[in-house]
Amino acid sequence: MKKPDGANPAKLLWFVVIVFIAYVIFKSPGWFMNKPIPGSLIMMYMFFAVVAALLVMTSTDESTQGLFAPIKALVEDPSKKIIRNAVFVIAPIVGALITYNQIKPGFDAPVELRATHPAPPTIMKAYDKTFNLATLENPFRKLQTENPEKFKEAVKEGGAVYFKNCFFCHGDKLDGKGHFAQGFNPLPLPFQGKDTIAQLQESFVFWRISTGGPGLPKEATPWLSAMPVWHTFLSEDEVWKAILFIYDYTDNAPRSWVSANSKKDG
Amino acid sequence: MVSCLMKKRTAGKAVFLFVLSVMFFPAFLNTGFSASFSPAAAYAGTDAVSPVAHEETYTHPPAPKLKAQDYPIVMGINSRVFVWMAAQLHLWFAAFVLAVPIFVFIIEAVGMATKDERYDKMAYEFIKVSLTAYSVTALIGGLLAFSLFVFYPDLMRYMTRLFGQTMLLYALLFFAESATLYIYYYGWHAMERGFSKWAHLTIGLLLNAVGTTLMFLANAWVTFMMSPSGVDAGGVFDGNIWHVIHNHLWNPINLHRFVANIAFGGSIVGAYAAYRFLSARSDSDRAHYDWMGYTANLIAISALLPLPFAGYWLTAEIYAYSQQMGITLMGGAFAWLFITQAVIIGALFLSANYYLWCGMERSPGAYRYTKYIKYIAAVIVVCFLVWFTPHTLILKPWELKALGGQYHPFLGPLGIMPAKNTAVNIMLIFTFLSFLLYRRANKIAVVSWAPLGRAAQAAVFAGAILNIVFLGVYYGYFTNTVYKVASSVPQVASTLTVIAACMVIDFFMFKGAKDVGELRWGGIPQRSQYALFLLAVSFTWLMGLMGFIRSSIRQHWHVYSVMRDASVNAYTLTIASAAKTVSAAAIIFMAMVIFIFWLSALSSKKQDKPLPLGSDAKNPKEGGGIR
Amino acid sequence: MNIFFKVIIFSLLTMGIYTLFATNYIPPMNSAPVPAEETIDLAQMTIQQFIALGDKIFHGKGTCTLCHNPVVKRAPLLDGVAGRIGERLKDTRYKGGAKDLAGYIEESMRKPSAYVVAGYGVTGSNDTVSPMPVISEGAIGLNDVEIKAVIAYLQNLGGAEVTVEIPKGPPMAEGKDSAQAATLPAKTGAEIVKKFGCGLCHKIAGEQGAIGPDLTKIGAKKNADYLRRAVFDPNADIAPGFPPGMMPQDFKDKMTAGELQVIVDYLAKSK
Repeated sequence: MKKPDGANPAKLLWFVVIVFIAYVIFKSPGWFMNKPIPGSLIMMYMFFAVVAALLVMTSTDESTQGLFAPIKALVEDPSKKIIRNAVFVIAPIVGALITYNQIKPGFDAPVELRATHPAPPTIMKAYDKTFNLATLENPFRKLQTENPEKFKEAVKEGGAVYFKNCFFCHGDKLDGKGHFAQGFNPLPLPFQGKDTIAQLQESFVFWRISTGGPGLPKEATPWLSAMPVWHTFLSEDEVWKAILFIYDYTDNAPRSWVSANSKKDG
Repeated sequence: MVSCLMKKRTAGKAVFLFVLSVMFFPAFLNTGFSASFSPAAAYAGTDAVSPVAHEETYTHPPAPKLKAQDYPIVMGINSRVFVWMAAQLHLWFAAFVLAVPIFVFIIEAVGMATKDERYDKMAYEFIKVSLTAYSVTALIGGLLAFSLFVFYPDLMRYMTRLFGQTMLLYALLFFAESATLYIYYYGWHAMERGFSKWAHLTIGLLLNAVGTTLMFLANAWVTFMMSPSGVDAGGVFDGNIWHVIHNHLWNPINLHRFVANIAFGGSIVGAYAAYRFLSARSDSDRAHYDWMGYTANLIAISALLPLPFAGYWLTAEIYAYSQQMGITLMGGAFAWLFITQAVIIGALFLSANYYLWCGMERSPGAYRYTKYIKYIAAVIVVCFLVWFTPHTLILKPWELKALGGQYHPFLGPLGIMPAKNTAVNIMLIFTFLSFLLYRRANKIAVVSWAPLGRAAQAAVFAGAILNIVFLGVYYGYFTNTVYKVASSVPQVASTLTVIAACMVIDFFMFKGAKDVGELRWGGIPQRSQYALFLLAVSFTWLMGLMGFIRSSIRQHWHVYSVMRDASVNAYTLTIASAAKTVSAAAIIFMAMVIFIFWLSALSSKKQDKPLPLGSDAKNPKEGGGIR
Repeated sequence: MNIFFKVIIFSLLTMGIYTLFATNYIPPMNSAPVPAEETIDLAQMTIQQFIALGDKIFHGKGTCTLCHNPVVKRAPLLDGVAGRIGERLKDTRYKGGAKDLAGYIEESMRKPSAYVVAGYGVTGSNDTVSPMPVISEGAIGLNDVEIKAVIAYLQNLGGAEVTVEIPKGPPMAEGKDSAQAATLPAKTGAEIVKKFGCGLCHKIAGEQGAIGPDLTKIGAKKNADYLRRAVFDPNADIAPGFPPGMMPQDFKDKMTAGELQVIVDYLAKSK
């Protein structure tokens, strides 16, 4: 006994619509929020979405007939000769295009797993000495309260250091959009906003500047970062002043030690 | 033809016995023992050694420290791949021939209880399928033992020293297994009536007891290599064989293999039935094999449902035994193997559901429920996508650039265990819902409280789902790490409660229920049978893959932390090469299974001439007990 | 189409998809190479090289970073251990006997439960039992030199002065001189005696050593198991009248299993 309404020729259309909707859903984080679901995952998602749609639509006889009837008609019905020929030309071309796009040589770097927020070491070596990052402080920071005039001067000097060295990548607005920024992957860090240097201690920033990309631990893929090893170009004071400048310009305050200490363990 | 086959079987056995004797005895007598016994041998003034005489002087040497030169190279064969293939094939066949008697026994019992001869017929056909496979199992087992002794003589010498007694017991039990199996099979028709039927059933029970003990023994050897106990850090045996057998992972593996064997055996029989269904010429054959496929699938899926939980237990025990081993298993390069496993398990669930949905075509009353299929499918697919979303994503450079890191802000929370547990439990519940709908597709409840019963079932479902989601979300994301995994137990309890409660309500609600129309066995569409093939192929492949993981988390150890693997093959394979080897082995297995089925079909043509298969199975009613 | 071929093709396709997924979709990841026993000339080593050796062991063979790493935090981070040593040793929960940083680190490797950092104990043990394996035994099984190297590395990492001295002598295990590993295994008892210099101390196979026990008739008194143990672990049983600790303890590493078998056979038959 069949369900009385018989084969539904709109099934195929439904199938296409469902698959399309699934595709849009999976793609939308990338389109609208700039947080794309990786293509490798979308491929798997789509594979199972298509398979599941096919399974549901072939679970009963009349639904199966409805799904395949248009295809059958296209192949067999003499009156659809023009459409048939068109499909027979277009379908292989589409297939060929997809294949071409899949296998054409690209310039992408090989896939690598990268930790964006590596933990800093306790000690670091630069300028031929050892710094203990747990106790390291910016020597100019105390001027802020003790001698505001001198502090302003130091910030100004830091600005000069910044614009002679850093702004090419990190940008004249300190937003990470310098002239060369787009050439790098990962992108240069923006200092604007409350989620980058505002979250860090000055000693961490000092570590990142003076040892640069090569100083990153392995899980942060030091071979990907383009940050130079600045302690070979700048003096210690210049680095500290540049740090003063980037905090001052973006109206951020460095993270203080008190809250950081609570994170220590082991 | 039959006698010819019989000859083949005896020939197979003879070959096996020969191989066994060639292999085990030199192993006992060879260098290993002769070395430890040689002082005594010198007392006796001869080089010929008799093991019994020297049992007393024998204490226990430590595990040898090997070098690459200690591993013989025979004809340039890759010893690891050869032993791996032999072990895997042996395992597949052994799983099959151990599992079939388990559910044959149950089906026979159901047949006796319901006095329905069709069950008996089907049980007989099941056991017939497994019989030819039995000799092949033994043969490949011989090949495995042979290759182990050839390629890993020092390891096997050490193992034989430890497990000598159990190996002897194993050989004895093997003969007991053969004897009971042959009596069970050949005595089927002779012991069909009255008291002798009970005797026959008892032999079936005995057969299963012996078979399961056999497996437990072999498991002890395997798990000793993973989690050695009863020996000290240098591998010196403490003298108590029970300590060695009862090692940390023995019972978890026993349970996991027992349940998985049933699922695997069911799926293989299902594939057999599906093939016979597709090639059946008469309606009665079609009806019979449809019913057989349905039963086999039901067995496979029922065993599949508890399998994840047995797996959790095993994994937890691996962590408990050695955190390093546990992290190697779940955190390192092997983590991606579990993504592969997740994909295949998802495929299994989808195909099992598909088979149930298609099965509704047998019922004239199914149209009332087909509209729900799409919603069930949607839920299962969503759960499935959560289930296999990895925590660490594979990113192209531009995606990495956009996301800024390896973790996705929206998908990240789906990558961790609480999300997976939640998803898999909901997936199980909705698979059960498919089954529930299938069951009632052809029935109309006549009891007065039917609407109330349905409401109660709906409430149970809703309550359980809410509970599972709450547990998963709350404990997974809003509490301390310690509780993350702890929530999985109440989640599983919810799932099991749904299944139990709904089955009970169903049982009373559909007591004396009216049928909508006659159930059309054989009316299932042909395409559904491919779900059964998918089930069998996926189980086979997955077993191979998980076997690889189980074995290789020992890394460069023969016996973990006791005896080092110094051969050139001690490194861990990449997933890709492991998958290729598994596929090659699976194809060999498939070819052999096809050959065996062909043989058994050949014999059934002759044997069943006076009573064509399924001649009285035109319309088997829906089964009682085993539904 | 024939049902048989349909089914075969379907099954092969299914398996093919699984295989493709495993080979092409999953990013290729090389497994860590089998950890080799280190082959290093300690006499020639500077303290910097020794620290580097410790670094290598810490990140490699020792598998320490499986747990002691900032991402998973299954165990405390060790870069600050030098700074905390004072409070650790004074802690009332401290059960060990270490007096200084080197001792504390060594103890934590040999007896992990001597001090369990709060929050890192085995669940339910109230931080009295450490989940850490004993590093000097079992699957990791670092030898004494390797443990010293790790201590040196951790001292340096924590910014403390490296107090560990590079051990002298040869207890670096397996494959110490690769030339020996390359030579073929000896076939007879006499060959083995020659190869391993047994006759320097023992009276055996025509050699007349006088430092150790006479082995020419040892087979009449001792069985194979005793002899095997005597080669493997010379100090397990000491023959009366001889001081313990004289015989080298590394034959178990130097001999192949086959050679051990032969020498034990040979000794057992000497009577």
